[in-house]
Amino acid sequence: MKFAIALFAPPHAPSSRRALRFVQAALAGGHQIVRLFFYQDAVHNASSNVVSAQDELDIPAEWRELVRQQQLDGVVCIAAALRRGILNEQEAQRYQRSAGNLDAPWDLSGLGQLHEAAQTADRLICFGGP
Amino acid sequence: MATLHVLSHSPFSDGRLSSCLRLLGPADGLLLCGDAVYALQPGTAQRQALELMPAAIGLFALDEDLCARALAAPARVQVVDYPGFVELSCRFDKVNSWL
Repeated sequence: MKFAIALFAPPHAPSSRRALRFVQAALAGGHQIVRLFFYQDAVHNASSNVVSAQDELDIPAEWRELVRQQQLDGVVCIAAALRRGILNEQEAQRYQRSAGNLDAPWDLSGLGQLHEAAQTADRLICFGGP
Repeated sequence: MATLHVLSHSPFSDGRLSSCLRLLGPADGLLLCGDAVYALQPGTAQRQALELMPAAIGLFALDEDLCARALAAPARVQVVDYPGFVELSCRFDKVNSWL
C-alpha cells in the first residue's frame, strides 16, 4: 500500500509523534511512503535549530533520521516555512537573512506536492491537532 | 466508501465526537487517539453514545493513548497499536482525520 502523509502540527504536539510512529509502523509493515508533506506549523519539525530537553523526545531529530535512513521524500511547504522563519541556505540568501535553518534531507516546495502525493498514493493520512 | 474517522480532540472540549457520530455511515469506523480516548471515561454520556453505536460500525482506540491516561476500553471497542492503525488505514477505503 502506498501512503502519503500530511502533517499539520508542530513538534511539541502529540500528533507529530503519532505521525512519526505511524510512518515507522507502515515502513516496518512493508508499505511505501510516497511523500511526507509538512504544512502549517509542522514546518517546525524540519528546523535544524530545535533544541529538545534532554529528558524529552527529540521529534525533529527522529524525523530527520527517519527521512535520511529510509530515503523518504520529505517536503516542507515553502510558503508556510518562510512565514515561520524556516529557510534553507538558498532562501536565506534570497531574502538577505543571516542564516538558514533547513538542511538536507528536507526540500522546500509548494502545495502542489501535496496534491500530487494524494493522487499518487492509495491513502492520504493527515495528522494534526492535539 | 467505507471511511475510517480519526479523532484526537477531547470530546469534553468541542463537538467533534458528536458531529462525527452523526455522520458515520453504516460501514464506517472510528479510531480514538490522543485526548479523544477520554470519550471512554466510564459513566459519561460520550461513552454511552459509543456503546449504543450499531454493531456494524467498528470502534477502535489507540493503545498507548489509553495507557497514558489509565483508561480501559470496553469490550465494544477494539484496542489497536500502531501496526493495527496502519492495518485499519488499509482496511478502510479512506481515512478522514478530524484535525
